[in-house]
Amino acid sequence: MTPTQKDQVELALVKRATGIRSLDAVTRGGLPARGATLIVGEPGCGKTILGLQILAGALSRGEGGVFMSFEESSTQLLRNAATFSWGGLLHDASRCEVINAKGMKGAEFAGAFDIEGLLAMLASCANRVEGTWIVLDGIDQLLRHQPDQEQAIEQVAQINDWCERQGYTLLLTGKHSGDRLTRPEHLAGIEFLLPTIFVLSSILVDRRLHRRFRIAKYRGTHHDPDELALLIDDDGIHLPYANTADEEEVVASSQRIGTGIERLDDVLGGGLYQGSTTLISGQPGTSKTTLAAAFVEAACERGERALFVSFDELASRIVRNVASVGIDLQPHIDSDRLALQTHTSWHSLAEQHFMALQQRIDEVRPHCLVIDPASALLKASSAQSPHIALERLLDRTRRDGITTLLTSLSSDEDPSDESTLTHVSTLADTWIVLRYEIRGGERNRALSVVKSRGTAHSNQVRELVLSSRGVDLADVYQYGTEVLMGTARVEKESEEEAARQRQKREREQRQQLLERQIDKTLLQISQQETELQRLRDELEDESAYQGSSDRELARHHETIRQYREPEHKLTREKRQARRQEDGQ
Amino acid sequence: MSQDTPQANPLSQYLILFVTGDAPRTRRARRNLAAALSEAGIDGWPREIDLLEEPRQALDFGMFATPALLRTGEQRPRAVLYGDLSDEATLSQFLGEL
Repeated sequence: MTPTQKDQVELALVKRATGIRSLDAVTRGGLPARGATLIVGEPGCGKTILGLQILAGALSRGEGGVFMSFEESSTQLLRNAATFSWGGLLHDASRCEVINAKGMKGAEFAGAFDIEGLLAMLASCANRVEGTWIVLDGIDQLLRHQPDQEQAIEQVAQINDWCERQGYTLLLTGKHSGDRLTRPEHLAGIEFLLPTIFVLSSILVDRRLHRRFRIAKYRGTHHDPDELALLIDDDGIHLPYANTADEEEVVASSQRIGTGIERLDDVLGGGLYQGSTTLISGQPGTSKTTLAAAFVEAACERGERALFVSFDELASRIVRNVASVGIDLQPHIDSDRLALQTHTSWHSLAEQHFMALQQRIDEVRPHCLVIDPASALLKASSAQSPHIALERLLDRTRRDGITTLLTSLSSDEDPSDESTLTHVSTLADTWIVLRYEIRGGERNRALSVVKSRGTAHSNQVRELVLSSRGVDLADVYQYGTEVLMGTARVEKESEEEAARQRQKREREQRQQLLERQIDKTLLQISQQETELQRLRDELEDESAYQGSSDRELARHHETIRQYREPEHKLTREKRQARRQEDGQ
Repeated sequence: MSQDTPQANPLSQYLILFVTGDAPRTRRARRNLAAALSEAGIDGWPREIDLLEEPRQALDFGMFATPALLRTGEQRPRAVLYGDLSDEATLSQFLGEL
């Protein structure tokens, strides 16, 4: 090892994982293994819970720790901890020392004080439990009694140095003073002193409390500086939007899977890409849920697992409703291939929904996922854009190759309402729009594929036909520039058919008539030809007769003239010519 | 002083001074206390517990800052005065309730 490398190893910050996956993700590995981390925040932000949870995590890994509270008694602490799944771990007195220092809060002071005794006591406790974790909860309650504030700051530095020397991972919590978020009350300047500071805060949005987490400072290491939503549930603190996934590139699948509606697969050029996201948007009652049910039914029939998350509609009702159009989900629920779940949208924050969905995906490991409607997730209360929940979720499903179908309610009948879903639709690979077409006093369901990435899909609007036999798409009926549906389509089709038949018959009749006329004409022609021939023959006969009679007459006249003309008047030549004529 | 027997030094039965070795504030506290006791005409010296030597005593008595003067006993309510006892008025009031 070269001297430079050795320096780097010695200088590199060693971290200790907290066991809170999302916290370890945003801190890129945990808290500084040696020294103090300050957690500041208003009351009720979860500072104490974070400390307790980190300690419980250490205990669960067989490590030991000390928790000292200047705010609450040990009984209060353990009672609070008992509401969490890991609360029981803190009762293990052999590895865990919970120190009640609540009395310091209201104690009387007559001058400056030292903390050496405190540190000696902590060392003794840490030694007993063989622990490396120390939490001093509400340290500001002690140090605020120091007459000179600089003394208090120095003592924080003293605690930090002591932990660095002894190899303790220390968590200090303190309330902040309102205007300066990184500074606990009475401890001005502490933010310059400690290398690691986390800030917890909370705001009210729609009368609901939203907690947030931010790493204000983490010297000597990369970390995620964003303010993140913080949730507290039975398992303690979560940062749902912490990026825990590996950043590796995901290969897009070229495999297509069926939607459960054969003709829709045809429209989509063979089905949906595996791992892709499809958005089905439409007004209430346009069969979004039915299409989604057909999708999961098809998945289960292929032997895959599917997760159908319904917001605000009971699972049993969905099963009943789709059964009426020939989609039978119950066998798949019974065989555990289909998990059909109902969530109440108003009940939780968007982040909570997101986390619950993540957990369900972890449990079910589905091939296909339906969220019906995903718009419920977007309308849930959130301090941040609720779209983040959906974006994160879709990022997850893409990574895991889960083919996802989201439905979205468009609220009114204005077709331009599609644009309000723009954000979601940009996330989706395929966007199917369902709409009512009202014509001739009738509503019909129209389906069109607005977009489908990587697919030469049909642009045509089709009619979605529901019957007890199932769901199908009817071929569009083009009438001029219009598309007819429902009864109008059927009616128009039969009308057109009748007209076609009529026209056909008329044409046939006309043809027959013409053929007859032709036959007749041909007959006439042949008759005429016969007549013509006869006339010609007659004419020929006539001319032949005429010729011979003309010559007879001429000879007769000549004869008569010769008789009348004196002989001498005949020249020798004339007589000669006559003889020749006669001779012919 | 701290080695006095309870019989010879009744004050040590209901007054305990928590200290950390010979730290400056510990010395200051001893000085301030001695002056105040003398002024009040109280004989004897409280029991001293050095938390650097007996850190578990801090837990047992719930003393997390030093120096600290603890008043115990059956007759009077328990009371603690933290710090180097440089606030004369507070100290004399505390001792006045003995």
